[in-house]
Amino acid sequence: MHTTSELLIQVLWGLGGVLTFLFLFIVVNKAMRELKERRAATLRKELEPRILEYVNGKGERLGPQLGHLGGFERSVAEEILLDNARFLKGTARSRITAACEELGLVQDRIAQLRHPRWWKRAEAAEKLASMKSPKAAPELIVLMHDEVPDVRMRAARALGQLDTRTSIKPLVEAMQDPNRWSALRIADILAGMGTDAADELVENFNTLPIKARVAAVDCLGRAKSLRAPGLLLRLLTDPDRNIRARAAHSLGLIGDPNFTPDLLKSLSDAEWPVRAMAAKALGKLARPEAVEPLARVLKDKEWWVRINAAEGLRSMGDKGLSALVGALSSEDRYARHAAVATLEGAGVVDQYVGMLASADEKEREQALSFIRKIVASERTDSLMQSAARHAQEKVREQLSRVLKPGEVKP
Amino acid sequence: MTPLAFDWHALLLKSVITFNEFVIYYFLTLNTVYLLLFVVSLFEVVRFVRRTFFSDYQQILKSEMTWPISILVPAHNEEQGIVDTIRSLLQLNYGEFEVVVVNDGSTDATLERLIKAFDLRKTDRIYRRTLPTARVLGIYASLEVPNLTVVDKEKGGKSDALNTGINISRYPLFCSVDADSVIEENALLRVVKPFMEHPEEMVAVGGIVRIINGCEVRDGRVTRISLPRRALPVFQVVEYLRAFLSGRIGWSVLRSLLIISGAFGLYKKSEVMAVGGYDSTTDTEDLELVVKLHETLKKQKTRYRIVFVPDPVCWTEVPEKFKTLLMQRNRWHRGLLQSFSRHWRMLFNPRYGVIGTLALPYFLVFEMLGPFIEVLGYLSVIAAYFLGILNQEFFLLFLLVAVFYGVFLSIAAVLLEEISFRRYPGWEDLARLIWYSIWENLGFRQLLALFKVKAFFDFIRRRRRWGEMGHKGFREPAPASPPAGPRPPR
Repeated sequence: MHTTSELLIQVLWGLGGVLTFLFLFIVVNKAMRELKERRAATLRKELEPRILEYVNGKGERLGPQLGHLGGFERSVAEEILLDNARFLKGTARSRITAACEELGLVQDRIAQLRHPRWWKRAEAAEKLASMKSPKAAPELIVLMHDEVPDVRMRAARALGQLDTRTSIKPLVEAMQDPNRWSALRIADILAGMGTDAADELVENFNTLPIKARVAAVDCLGRAKSLRAPGLLLRLLTDPDRNIRARAAHSLGLIGDPNFTPDLLKSLSDAEWPVRAMAAKALGKLARPEAVEPLARVLKDKEWWVRINAAEGLRSMGDKGLSALVGALSSEDRYARHAAVATLEGAGVVDQYVGMLASADEKEREQALSFIRKIVASERTDSLMQSAARHAQEKVREQLSRVLKPGEVKP
Repeated sequence: MTPLAFDWHALLLKSVITFNEFVIYYFLTLNTVYLLLFVVSLFEVVRFVRRTFFSDYQQILKSEMTWPISILVPAHNEEQGIVDTIRSLLQLNYGEFEVVVVNDGSTDATLERLIKAFDLRKTDRIYRRTLPTARVLGIYASLEVPNLTVVDKEKGGKSDALNTGINISRYPLFCSVDADSVIEENALLRVVKPFMEHPEEMVAVGGIVRIINGCEVRDGRVTRISLPRRALPVFQVVEYLRAFLSGRIGWSVLRSLLIISGAFGLYKKSEVMAVGGYDSTTDTEDLELVVKLHETLKKQKTRYRIVFVPDPVCWTEVPEKFKTLLMQRNRWHRGLLQSFSRHWRMLFNPRYGVIGTLALPYFLVFEMLGPFIEVLGYLSVIAAYFLGILNQEFFLLFLLVAVFYGVFLSIAAVLLEEISFRRYPGWEDLARLIWYSIWENLGFRQLLALFKVKAFFDFIRRRRRWGEMGHKGFREPAPASPPAGPRPPR
C-alpha cells in the first residue's frame, strides 16, 4: 500500500504540473494574442488611410507611399488590401492586384504554395484568390494535384477567382475525376466564370461521368451560354432521368421561348421529376400555348408536378390565372386543391372577396360565382377567415351566407 | 457438533475491498477514455480552425447551388418570446430558407401573437402528410413575410410538432430549432457547409449549444457575451464546453456521434422521413432520431456521415434552480435509457462499426452505469470507514487524484475554447471559467450523478415527465398578453 501511495503522490505531482502548464499556457497565449492584436490595430490605423488613398487613385504605385515595411507591417498591409478586395470592383480592384504584385505579396504567397504544411498551402491559395493576380495561375494549376483535398479545393476556387481562360481547362478536367473532386463544387466555380467556362463544358460534356454531367447541366443553365441550348435540348431525351430533369430546368433558366415545344413533350415524360421540372420551366417561358397542357397536368398523380404546374400557370398572367379558375371545377380533387392554393397565393381570391362589396351588381355576381367554385373545391380555410375577419361587414355577411354549414364539406 | 457459522463480517469486508478495487480500475479506464477523446478533439479543433476561411461562407451565401433550408420551430406556450425568436430567425444570413413555426396546442397566446406580429392569414396550402401526426387545425401564411408559415395543430408533443413541420416544409434540408433559443446570424451558413462538401453522404449536422444566461440579447440577437453571475449556470457553462468541445467533437471524428442537440441540428429530410421521422414515445427525440438513423443506415450498408461542427452557435437558457436542473437532467437520462433499451441489439455488434463496438458500450458502461458506480463508490468508502478498513491516506490521495483529473479535463475544455472560438473575450470571464472548472468537481458533478441515479429509477417505474424549464427569460419583457390557460407540463 505504501508503494501505491507513493505512486499516487507522483501522479498528483504530475497532474499538478500539467494543470499549472495548462493554466500558464492559457494565460500567456491570451496575453500574447491580445498584444499582437493591439499592435496590429495601431499599425492598421496608420497604414489604412494611405492604402485607401492609393486604392482610390492617388499615385501610380503603393510602395513609395508606404515606405519600407518590415515583416509584420507587410502582413498588416496585406490584410488591409485583402479586406478591401472583398468589396471593391473595377479599377480600384485592379489597383489592389497591382499593389499586391508590387509589394511582393503575390510572390510570397506563390512561394508558400510549396510549404510542407497543408494549411499553409491552403492559406496561400486562399489569399492568392483574393489577390486575383494571373501570375499565380500556373502554380495554382499544379496545386490542383495536391494530396490534401482541402488544398486542392482551395486551388480550384482560386483559379475560379482568377477567371482566366487558362484556369478553365483544369477545372473542367477536374470534373472528369469524381474520386478526387466534388463535381457540384467545381460546377459551382465554373458557373461563376461565365460563358467561356460553359462553352468548355459543352465541348467536354461527353467525357464527363454521369454525376458530373448532372452538375454540368445545372452549370450550363446558370451560365446561360448561347452554345448550351443545342446540347440541353438533346439531353431532354437522355436515358438518365436526372439529366433529363436538370436539362429541362436549365432550359427554363435560359428562358428562350423557342424551347416550348420540346418542353411540352417532356410534360408527358414517364418519370415525374422530368415532368415537374418541365412544368417549372414552362412557367418561366410563359408562352400561351403552354397554358392548356399545364392545366392538364394539374391532375398529374405526382404532387410536385401539380404544384409546379399550378405555379407555372400563376406566372403566366391572366391566361394562366383563367386556367386555374377553370381548374376549380375539375373533377379531379387534387387539381382543384392545387388551383385554390395557388389562386390564394396570387391574391386572386382576395380580389374576388373584395368585389363582394362592389356597387356594381354584375361584379358582385361574378365574385359570388367564383367564391361558390372555391367552396365546391372543399378548400375554404381562407374564405372562412375572411368571413370572420374581413374589414367590411357586407363582405362578411355575404361570405357567411355562401359558407353556410351544409355547403362546406369537411 | 456446532454448525459452521457463516462469517458475514468477512464477506462484507471482502465485498467492500473488492468493490473499491473495481472502482479504482473503473476510474482509470474512464479517465483514459476521456483523455483519448480530449486528444482527438484537440487535433480536430486545431484542424478545423486551420481549414476554415471567411470566403467559404461567402461562397455558400452567394452560390445558387447552396441547398435551401426549412427551419422548423416547435412552439408550445411560448408567447413570451416567440415573436422575437421568429424575427431573429428571419434575419439569418442565408440565401434561400423558410421558417415553419408549429404551434403545438398552446393554451396561451402564442398563435395570436404570431398572427398579429406577422399579419398572418389562414390559407388552404396543400401538403403531403407523409409522417402521421396529430390533426392540423390550420396553416397560416404571411403577406409581409413570404418565407414564414405557421401551423396550428392539436397538442402532440415536440416530436409530433417536428414531424408536422417536416410534412409541411418545402426544402430538402430541415433545421430543428427550439423556440426559446437564439441562433447566431451566420449559423446556417456554417452548419450547411458539411452538406456542401459531402452532399451525398451527409445526413445530419449538429452545431454547438452555448449558454445565454448572463448575455445581453437585443432584438433576438446576442449583443454582448458574458458569463452568468450565479454559480449554477456557470457550472453548466463549463460542463457544456467539456461536453461539446471535447466530447462531441471526439465522437464526431470517430464517426460515432449519437447526439445532435434538439436545440439546433440540420438534417437531410429524405433520410429522416425514411426512418419515420421523430419518435414521440421517447423523452429525448433528438437522441432517438440520431440513433435510429445510424441503425437504419448501417443496416442498409449506406455510406453516410453524421457530424458535429463546433462553430455554428445556438444560444440557449439553462436552469438556474436545482429543481429545474434535476427535472431537465432526469429527462435527458431517461431518454438515454429509453433509446438504449430500444437499440440494445447494436451493442457490441460489429455490424454497426465503431458505434456498436465503442460508442454504445461507452454509453452503457460510463454514462448509464457510471453514476451508480460513483454513488456506490461513495457509499462503500463510508462503509469501509465504519468497518475500520479504510486506508485514510490512500483514500485522500485517490480523492485528490480524482479531483485533479476532473479539473484537468475541465480546464482542457477551456483551453480548447481559448485556442479556437474565444466566445468569452474578457479576462474576468476567463478567470471565472478557470475558477469554476475547479469548483465544479467538488459537488456539482457528484450532484449530477445523483440526478442520473434517480432518473434510472424513474425509467424503471416508467415515469415520464417533461418538466418545465422555468425560464428566467433573457429578452426584454413582452407586452401584456391576453388571459392564458394553465401551462401543462410537456
